[in-house]
Amino acid sequence: MAARRVGAGCWQRALWLGRRCRLPGGRESYRSSSSSPALGKTVDNPQETPEEIVLPRRKTWDKLAVLQTLASTVNRDPTAAHYMFQDDPFLMPRNAANSRLYSLSKESGRNAAKYIIKNFPQYFDKTFAEPNVPCLMPQTLTPQTEGVSEEALRERIHLRMVKESVDMFDQLLQAGTPVSLETTNSLLDLLCFCGDGEPTPEKEQEEKEDLEEPGVDASEQKAPKRQFRRGSQSGPRWRENNHAERIFKIMPERNAHSYCTMIRGMVKHGAHSKAYDMYIDLLNERHKADVHTFNALIRAVPYLKERFTERWELAKDFLTHMAQQKVQPTLLTFNSVLKSLRRCGGVGRTMSLFVLKEMEALDIEPSLASYDHLLSVYYRGVEAQSSDIISEVLNEVEKRSFTAQDPDDANFFNTAMQVCCDLKDIKLAYQLNRALEKGDNWKFLDVDRSNGYWSKFFSLLCMMEQIEVVLKWYKETSSSLFYPSPKNILDLLQALDAANQLEVIPSVWEDVKQLGFSRRQDLLEEFLSLMSRDQHPSEIQLAFAKCAEEIKAIHDPAGPGQVPLEWTGSAVGHVVVLFSRAGRTQDAWNMMEHFQKINRIPTDNVMDEFLNCAKQTNCPDEAIKMVKLAASLGLPLSQRLKSRTEEEFELSETQKKALESIKWDGDSSDSDSDSSDSDRE
Amino acid sequence: CVSSSKQELFSTSSVLSKDEDKSAASKGSTPEGAAKRQEDGAETTKQQLLDIIGNMKVEVSYRKKLQQLKASENKKQAVNKLEGPDSEGSVPQGIREDTQRLNPELVKAASAVASSLPRNKKQTESELIAQLRRHEETTDKQKKGGTINIRNVISEMTVKRQSPEQWGARISGRISLQLGEDGQRTRSVWLLTNLNKIYFLVSSPTIWDLEFAKEVAAVTAQPPRNGFEEMIQWTKEGILWEFPIDNEVGMEDDAEFHEHIFLDKHLEGFPKEGPIRHFMELVICGLSKNPYLSVKQKVEHIEWFQKYFEEKKELLQEI
Repeated sequence: MAARRVGAGCWQRALWLGRRCRLPGGRESYRSSSSSPALGKTVDNPQETPEEIVLPRRKTWDKLAVLQTLASTVNRDPTAAHYMFQDDPFLMPRNAANSRLYSLSKESGRNAAKYIIKNFPQYFDKTFAEPNVPCLMPQTLTPQTEGVSEEALRERIHLRMVKESVDMFDQLLQAGTPVSLETTNSLLDLLCFCGDGEPTPEKEQEEKEDLEEPGVDASEQKAPKRQFRRGSQSGPRWRENNHAERIFKIMPERNAHSYCTMIRGMVKHGAHSKAYDMYIDLLNERHKADVHTFNALIRAVPYLKERFTERWELAKDFLTHMAQQKVQPTLLTFNSVLKSLRRCGGVGRTMSLFVLKEMEALDIEPSLASYDHLLSVYYRGVEAQSSDIISEVLNEVEKRSFTAQDPDDANFFNTAMQVCCDLKDIKLAYQLNRALEKGDNWKFLDVDRSNGYWSKFFSLLCMMEQIEVVLKWYKETSSSLFYPSPKNILDLLQALDAANQLEVIPSVWEDVKQLGFSRRQDLLEEFLSLMSRDQHPSEIQLAFAKCAEEIKAIHDPAGPGQVPLEWTGSAVGHVVVLFSRAGRTQDAWNMMEHFQKINRIPTDNVMDEFLNCAKQTNCPDEAIKMVKLAASLGLPLSQRLKSRTEEEFELSETQKKALESIKWDGDSSDSDSDSSDSDRE
Repeated sequence: CVSSSKQELFSTSSVLSKDEDKSAASKGSTPEGAAKRQEDGAETTKQQLLDIIGNMKVEVSYRKKLQQLKASENKKQAVNKLEGPDSEGSVPQGIREDTQRLNPELVKAASAVASSLPRNKKQTESELIAQLRRHEETTDKQKKGGTINIRNVISEMTVKRQSPEQWGARISGRISLQLGEDGQRTRSVWLLTNLNKIYFLVSSPTIWDLEFAKEVAAVTAQPPRNGFEEMIQWTKEGILWEFPIDNEVGMEDDAEFHEHIFLDKHLEGFPKEGPIRHFMELVICGLSKNPYLSVKQKVEHIEWFQKYFEEKKELLQEI
């Protein structure tokens, strides 16, 4: 009864509390649901008499508001792969190569669909969706204008049909129809951009793919795609007397735009000295170049001059020309200057800070690319390094959140992390990582770059941090943010070794199997040597023996077509030791036999361990076999092993006899007969 | 039950008429069809063809198909109903054609109004029905206009393709703006002295600008990290319904739903009872269920009737 009353009391109090809570709560939701300032006021000052409540006629929501709010509630799952792989559990990537392959396949599947829609629009003329979804419908890419006219030419230029445009232009010329300067200029734009080669659908596709995940130097796997990277470097070269040059020559009149686009095209396609000549022509014609042209010219500077000082002088010339022609420099101008300074050696180091000061004077905020160039200028290939510049840069970067302004922006975080690694400065690395986590900065790391970044960061952590911290990072980032490289695993093993935490090795081995590194000799060696180096408590030894068994299985010839891994002498020795310590005498003996197969000699340590094991498990037969083996190999240790066997084991008569009968001068025929002997036993 | 069936009839009447349209256009022989063609005299045969294709396209869409199934049933009923009153055979061919596509109840009401007049019964009826038909045609046209709009959207894909261009222009504008504003405050210490404020000419973006903008956008382009981000991406691409789900999506004339539906207030100028009232109530009932006309057009439609009956007032009062 009393309990019930107490219960009721509680209930009442809860109700009362609830009532009290509801009011502010209700107001809260009221306020958040309405943006009307009048309402906001009444809520903020409840004492004031609410005069007039203006209900908004209709609340217009941003169409993304709900989704953005929901998306902000989702955090990264450290145990799961990236979201894009979650369609199909079978296609969950296990390592960097897989993840790259799968993401590219996904993208290329999309591109294939787009290609089909683009090339066969006649099959996609039904509008099933209501309302219609334009982005799923084929685009009209065939020119609508028939015949030969300037209008038709313009349409072809707009649709970026290089060959058709050139043909149409020639036809117009032959027909004697003058083509307006504007149209000719846009044709030149197209030709200079595409470098006179048709932007074939395939190439376009590659480019598109690149946009999604630009290839990076960080990953060692799969280089073929890289050649398509950044049209500026790869694209077709500038041919002598190509269409662009031809049309430029026969143009009746040219304006600054014609010159500028020619210069940009030449720089883009590697005809740097031609671009410079064209610039001189432009000056002679008393035209003015635009800022983009100057940017291109400044980027071409390292290819125009040999010596560092000359390069800098030329870049400075261009800048003075800009000032003379009253061309306002942009961020990209200064980024181009800095990029050129990367190839100016010591001059670059002295001048790049001046460039940054100049940017400050012009109130141009440096972008990540500016800092990237700066770091490269200061830290690439330099021996004596100080961390002044990078810490200053990081202090600056930390204060701001960035938007992409320059295609080179993406490289900053990787370069900076590389510098941190070179300096072995974990504090800077943490600072950099904080900057990365700020705002949308993480977006600058695409899939490949992120792999490179985290892999570097992780190696640095392994080198510099406490093992607990390293393992925490490992758990949180591995295979959700990046896939460790073999080097990362080696670093982790070394860190474990340094911290004397070798018992973690079996779980690392599991990860290694997942990552698909189980056939890498260097890793296997490292695992085995670490596991077999010291004696551990028995359960750890058992776990180690299990690892060793798996490693042994990898070496065994598996299915046809799979080349079995070659055993090395030390690896066999380590496996024997591991089996011996776990008391698996038979397995250990089987491994012992591998020494003969691969013509290697077991070390004394290995044989001692084996004998210990045979003793512990009371297997005198194996011990005798062992002595025989040692004798057949003619090892000096065999005599001692024999005496140990005699002392430590309780041997039966036949066993004693067998032991006695071992020949000590072991030539090959003897050892053969011996082994057949032992087989018989 | 009656009202619901009425509603069905009304909502499908436009489909019915569309059917008629198609057959008329394909045969090209019925007077109604011919009249229609004359009305749209400007249309070339090509456009007619396009229209037909457009209509066919609409039929393909699933919802319409369902409606049509319903409609064909209703049509049978409607025809059956029509057989009765029109069996006199006195109605001219044109009107019969029209009446077939209109709601029989409305036609009945119209003839009731007409019969309440002393003379020119036939004329009144045909006039009323003609107006109703005009209304049907507007509905039709605007409905078709919807599909044509969709076609436009498709053909404007090139325009859509320009959107990254515009975007690019915006980006480059942003980049240049940062400098443009500051150009005045330039006090350079080193090289670029005495720079004046530069005016950036706003010209159409070249292929360089477009591709640069794309390249810059690609720097921070990330695949979605979770389902919601994927939905955001879809919304931006226009694949997904916009959240919050809103049944007024696409209503551009800035009118509230009640202005579309409760049209009684526009009937004040009409008699409180009698056949005209009955007729007009049916008219607004139909209008309130018509999603293809704007509020203004609906009001105009009602006003036409008001004027019409105003003109006939003397005649009515003669009785």
